[in-house]
Amino acid sequence: MFQLQLFIEYFKQYLKVRLAYRWDFVVQLGTDFFFQAVNLVFILVFFGHTKTLNGWTQHEVIFIYGYFLIPWAIFSAIFNLWDFNERYVIKGEMDRILTRPVHSLLQVIMETMTPESLIGVVTGVIVMGWAATGLEIEWAWYDPILLLVFALGGVAVYGGIFISLISISLFTDSKSDLQPIIYNIGTYGRYPVNIYHRLIQFVLTWVLPFAFVGFYPASYLLDKTQWQWYALITPLVGAVYLGIGIMIWNWGIRYYRGAGN
Amino acid sequence: MREMDAIYAEGLTKEFKVYQSRGGLWGAFRDLFDRHYRIIRAVEGIRMRIQPGEMVGYIGENGAGKSTTIKMLTGILQPTSGELKVNGFDPHRERERFVKTIGVVFGQRSQLWWDIAVQESFRLLQKVYQIPPKEYKSHLERMVSILEIESLLDQPVRKLSLGQRMRCELAASLLHKPKLLFLDEPTIGLDVLVKDNIRTFLKEINQELGTTILLTTHDISDIEALCSRVIMLDKGKIIYDGSLTQLKKVWGGRKKVLLETEREIAITDFKSRTVDLPVTWESTGKRQYVAYLEQGEVAVSDLLARVVQDIPILEMQIEEASTEEIVRKIYQEGIPDA
Repeated sequence: MFQLQLFIEYFKQYLKVRLAYRWDFVVQLGTDFFFQAVNLVFILVFFGHTKTLNGWTQHEVIFIYGYFLIPWAIFSAIFNLWDFNERYVIKGEMDRILTRPVHSLLQVIMETMTPESLIGVVTGVIVMGWAATGLEIEWAWYDPILLLVFALGGVAVYGGIFISLISISLFTDSKSDLQPIIYNIGTYGRYPVNIYHRLIQFVLTWVLPFAFVGFYPASYLLDKTQWQWYALITPLVGAVYLGIGIMIWNWGIRYYRGAGN
Repeated sequence: MREMDAIYAEGLTKEFKVYQSRGGLWGAFRDLFDRHYRIIRAVEGIRMRIQPGEMVGYIGENGAGKSTTIKMLTGILQPTSGELKVNGFDPHRERERFVKTIGVVFGQRSQLWWDIAVQESFRLLQKVYQIPPKEYKSHLERMVSILEIESLLDQPVRKLSLGQRMRCELAASLLHKPKLLFLDEPTIGLDVLVKDNIRTFLKEINQELGTTILLTTHDISDIEALCSRVIMLDKGKIIYDGSLTQLKKVWGGRKKVLLETEREIAITDFKSRTVDLPVTWESTGKRQYVAYLEQGEVAVSDLLARVVQDIPILEMQIEEASTEEIVRKIYQEGIPDA
């Protein structure tokens, strides 16, 4: 497990850097908590006005949203590559990456990860817990395990699509602004899909399967048998999309032109 | 292909597709639908054989294709066509295994992590290259002492001066004992003392570990200090590949020997003394004479032996074109028959 060991080494270095700037670290931690608290209040206020949404009760919608925050937080912790084009392609940091004996994508991820984003998991769990008090959910012993597996599947879905999108920078040397598109990824998949038009439902399931990140797994936990099978294939969909993302990345590396000097 | 070649390249070519934009707003609009591309051949059919243990200088003007070549040799870029084997690997296709056998220093770009202390960078590289701890420790200790970077180890890279950083970069690039070291402008912007320190270090590494070194530089004195062989690139093609002495001999032009004598000597006197040597004489002032020696043919001692016997000489000076001048001349005039 060379890759895992290496991941831990990078993580240690990350901690050292963060601890070297003590006040930065404290301030960041503070703002993170504050941001999460605001987020929480926003969610409660926002959904407080909608009693039902196309057959979904307020608590159910909040539950889905809370669940969604978990894969989203894990995704944000691992894939902090919003400025990939600028930093690695235009400034040519990719050259350095490519002269090291580790898969290039793994290196880029390890260099940019932001483990502090994992704090969003806590927020997610609190939101879910709060929502669950107004719902009658029967928890089976394996449900928490499934929840974790689904969450990782969701991370893989996001990760795969995200990698595919940033890989575009490898093919073209022009400064393309993918950030807005990529950023919008975050907004899908946190609401019940059947509130959308059928076409969008199809897209969110089979084309850009964001529904697998939040909605399907959460509805499984809500014991909605209607979407049970969708929920169960979440890890599979995640694996497929992550696989596609990595393939496009590897393909893009062949076209990488480097920064001119 | 010989197994032993550290670098084997045949017909190595790299083309870039460059997008050409039309002028004006209407042009920009048309570009949206119909783009025009131009193919630029940055490197064209390069042939290169480098033996293990060689120190080779790779020179060329800006835009001649040096960096592109180095990037292909280090596996960063995939060649458009041609054959390439470095340390027996296809650098791009077998990248992860291949890069374990090479070290890379890009003068203009740091290989170290900016925010963490130098020794932390080293430690991380130890893990990345999977160097056994014992081997790592002894090797690191040696390099630290030769490069005199002991006191820098606990500083973050961004606080180092350029010279300090460069010494750390060199150590970092050699931690895994690569067989082949690529140096792209390693002495750019450094002061003379640091340059010297680095050159001495490179010589030691080359002699003791047998590390093959390919060096690109703008500073010809790097090449003079280190490399016996030079490869010269112009507009993507190799225009010279051979020894530095040969380069000087062939394109160095005539050597000039300037003499100042105690008394006036007839120019014919000089001429008669050296009648069997390919030397031309000229008087440039009172008691001042110049002898032009045809390139490479005559030893200066031969000439002097015939002159100094009974002519009292006050001053003497030998002028020779520097490598830098030769290189500049070649770029301006081109090589007559390369």
